[in-house]
Amino acid sequence: MHSMRWRRPGLACLAALLCAAAGAAAQAQDQGRFEVRNAYVERANGQWLLDVRLDLALAEAARQAFDEGVPLMLELEAEASVERRFLPSATVAEIERRWQLAYDAISQRYVVTDLADGEQETYGTQADALAALAHLPAIRIADEATLPPDARFGMRVRATVEIGELPAAIKMLLFWKSWSRSTDWYAWNVRP
Amino acid sequence: MRRWLPIAVVAGIVVWVAALALLAVTAEGSQRYSQLQPWILLVNIAGVVVLLALIGGRLADFIRDWRRHVPGSRLRGRTILMFGGLAAAPLLLVFAFSVLFLTRGIDSWFHAEVRQGLTDALSLSRAALDLRMREYLDRSGAIAGGLAGLSGASLYAALDVELRRAGAEELVVTTAGGQPEGFSRAGMLHGLPGVPPDELLLQLRQGRPYVSLEPVEGGGYRITVATQIPGEPGLAAPRLLIATYPVPQRLADLATQVQAAYQEYGRLQFLREPLKLSFVLTLSLVLLTAVLAALYGALFFSQRLVQPVQDLIAGTRAVAKGDLDTQIQRPSHDEIGFLVTSFNDMTRRLARAREETERSRAAVEAERAALAVILARLTSGVISLEPDLRVRVANAAAGHILGVDFAQAAGMPLAELAARNRLLAQVHAVMQRHLESGETEWREQVTLRTDGGRRELVCASTALPGEGGAAGGLVLVFDEVTQLLQAQRQAAWGEVARRLAHEIRNPLTPIQLSAERMRRKLLRGLPPGEAELLERGTHTIVQQVEAMKQMVAAFSEYAKVPELHLSELDLAALIRQVSDLYHAQDPRVAFGLSLDPKAATLEADPGRIRQLLNNLLTNALEALDGRENPVIMIETKRAGDQIVLTVVDNGPGFQGGLMEQAFDPYVTTKPKGTGLGLAIVRRIVEEHGGRVEVDNAPQGGARIRITLPAAPREARRAEARREKA
Repeated sequence: MHSMRWRRPGLACLAALLCAAAGAAAQAQDQGRFEVRNAYVERANGQWLLDVRLDLALAEAARQAFDEGVPLMLELEAEASVERRFLPSATVAEIERRWQLAYDAISQRYVVTDLADGEQETYGTQADALAALAHLPAIRIADEATLPPDARFGMRVRATVEIGELPAAIKMLLFWKSWSRSTDWYAWNVRP
Repeated sequence: MRRWLPIAVVAGIVVWVAALALLAVTAEGSQRYSQLQPWILLVNIAGVVVLLALIGGRLADFIRDWRRHVPGSRLRGRTILMFGGLAAAPLLLVFAFSVLFLTRGIDSWFHAEVRQGLTDALSLSRAALDLRMREYLDRSGAIAGGLAGLSGASLYAALDVELRRAGAEELVVTTAGGQPEGFSRAGMLHGLPGVPPDELLLQLRQGRPYVSLEPVEGGGYRITVATQIPGEPGLAAPRLLIATYPVPQRLADLATQVQAAYQEYGRLQFLREPLKLSFVLTLSLVLLTAVLAALYGALFFSQRLVQPVQDLIAGTRAVAKGDLDTQIQRPSHDEIGFLVTSFNDMTRRLARAREETERSRAAVEAERAALAVILARLTSGVISLEPDLRVRVANAAAGHILGVDFAQAAGMPLAELAARNRLLAQVHAVMQRHLESGETEWREQVTLRTDGGRRELVCASTALPGEGGAAGGLVLVFDEVTQLLQAQRQAAWGEVARRLAHEIRNPLTPIQLSAERMRRKLLRGLPPGEAELLERGTHTIVQQVEAMKQMVAAFSEYAKVPELHLSELDLAALIRQVSDLYHAQDPRVAFGLSLDPKAATLEADPGRIRQLLNNLLTNALEALDGRENPVIMIETKRAGDQIVLTVVDNGPGFQGGLMEQAFDPYVTTKPKGTGLGLAIVRRIVEEHGGRVEVDNAPQGGARIRITLPAAPREARRAEARREKA
């Protein structure tokens, strides 16, 4: 009887990495498109406001979780930074905003709640709710005085979707599961 | 540093246990410590890593000791297996049951009945709210019918009336596109009504009334109803009535609770597998920690347990190598501590005993050295024998007297040595005779027969005390008294000779004178016959007196002790001169000379040596009287710092026991001899510090061998220096 045995641990590790990479690629295909499609800032009433549009397609796993009643969390991170000569850029403003998308089984409506002020909107279909969540208008970044008066600064935004408010312990113990998904940073320079 | 180590260890353990407890709490989904979660997990992982490092270190030490067969490593291995097994087995059992219980328990939350119950509750809630929604739809339709054609103030007034009557929260009349034309609200609501949602407008455009249940912020529900206002043909599109009604609080609360339960159930359903996995992982982490802690405890306590044993083994080995200063630190006050204390007491006692032994040994060595010096200085021979008559020790005098080299004889049987040595054989025979008769304490003068004559020893034997009453062997002490006896004999003979000379010489002269006077006075007056008788008689008297005078002179010569006058002497010349003289006296005798050039000169008294040669040659000539082809051989030879003079004749030699008494005075076989020749020879030799031996030559004839120091004064000075040293 022959027993199979790894004579070279390095080869075994390489094979494991390749398998993991293949699995990750398959998972990425399953996850659908999620990215910042467009974003811009504008001054209004003495404040800098941010408008973000997302391509927000739920992955199959997230959709299943959502259908089971697990709410989805959308987090938006935005940073404004000023370039400095001979020094790293300085962050002059940063915000984090969170929205929750939940399904109300009694009313059979989808509820989008802004967790910053508790304001909520309801939608009859999941598509309407997601469409509403994909457009985040007039998000206050900072007072006008906080950012450079010449309106020259850099901006970048990133969005993250999480499946429900899972216990941190579970997230950490099951770290290999894709509990959340983030877009790449969408960056641009603001000029007057 | 070492003072703070236990505190740090205890603090680390407390933090770790707290982290484990928190991990167990947060694993079930509590948000209470969610911010601490990474730190909690980090502390647990750090604890595991620290434990692994500690275990690795101790395990490496243990494996190294095991491979090197360090004493105690086997015992430690068994202890580790025992401790580790005892701790790990129940842990694994509890772990298995816990995992089974948890997974079964979590699965039991999601029975189909529970799901169905929740769904039914949801359906019931919806049904109740549907009734309410249909009621509000009908009510809104009735209101809309009453608003046809109204606008402006009349519209606002009608809306206020209908609001109160219908119990609505808000009534809004809008255009077909959703632009408000009038509204009425209950309570303190501010602002204009919002834009109606697209789905509402779309549905109304399709000619279907809109009714919707919507959750509100802060909990509860409200019902929104929208319908076209009928009976207004003048308009391009019918206006819309949008009414908002509150859901009764009781019904809203119940519906909210059902919704929350349904949502939580869905969440738990989704988290079912992760929760199980989370619990199992947490439990596994706790188990791993516990098993590692148990393993480390087994390693640690096995070391603590085995360390005293290893110390004892090391101490025992050190003691075996002679290090009696080894002291082991007492590890505890239990049986091991008692054992260590006993070991320390034992080593202390052993050290004291060794010191005592060393002192005793040193004393014995000193006494032995003193005894050896005394024995070496003794002129008496001393031989110490074991009970089985093996030689224990013998001094130099014993070897000198018996002619045995005792330097290599320690441990050898005396009988074996006696078989090689004639003198020792005779002493051994005497001793055996006494031993066979049961005598261990005896004293006896022993006469040893040698080729050179007799030797007299005074022997004494004494039994030595042994240990525990056993026989301790014998000690044999002997003195050679040959020379002493000879000296005594010579002294006695000298006294005899002196008295003889004195007593005899005095009357001889009157006798001789009287005889001559008688002859002179009476010879002429006597007849011839008597005269002849007188003549013969007086002549005989005179002759005999003369002979007696010669004899008295010889005795005087023997008795007197002249002072030596040492000088450089040409011995070869003297020998040739004396031999020529005697050859001239009797040419018949042939003289053969073999003179060693190295023995040509001698420091001696020439007159005494001449007398010695005269006596020897006289004796030889007298012995050769009547012999055919008489030959006398004279030989000199150098032997170290001594000169050996040998005179051999081919006469009859010494007869029987005469050889043993050859040097005694008055011992002679010759009719005219005085018997003083060899006695005088011996005296002269001894005066010069030499020795003389007689025997018969192998071819026959007497052989006299005289050994003289070439330089007696120097020899005496060297002997004096040796004695002084």
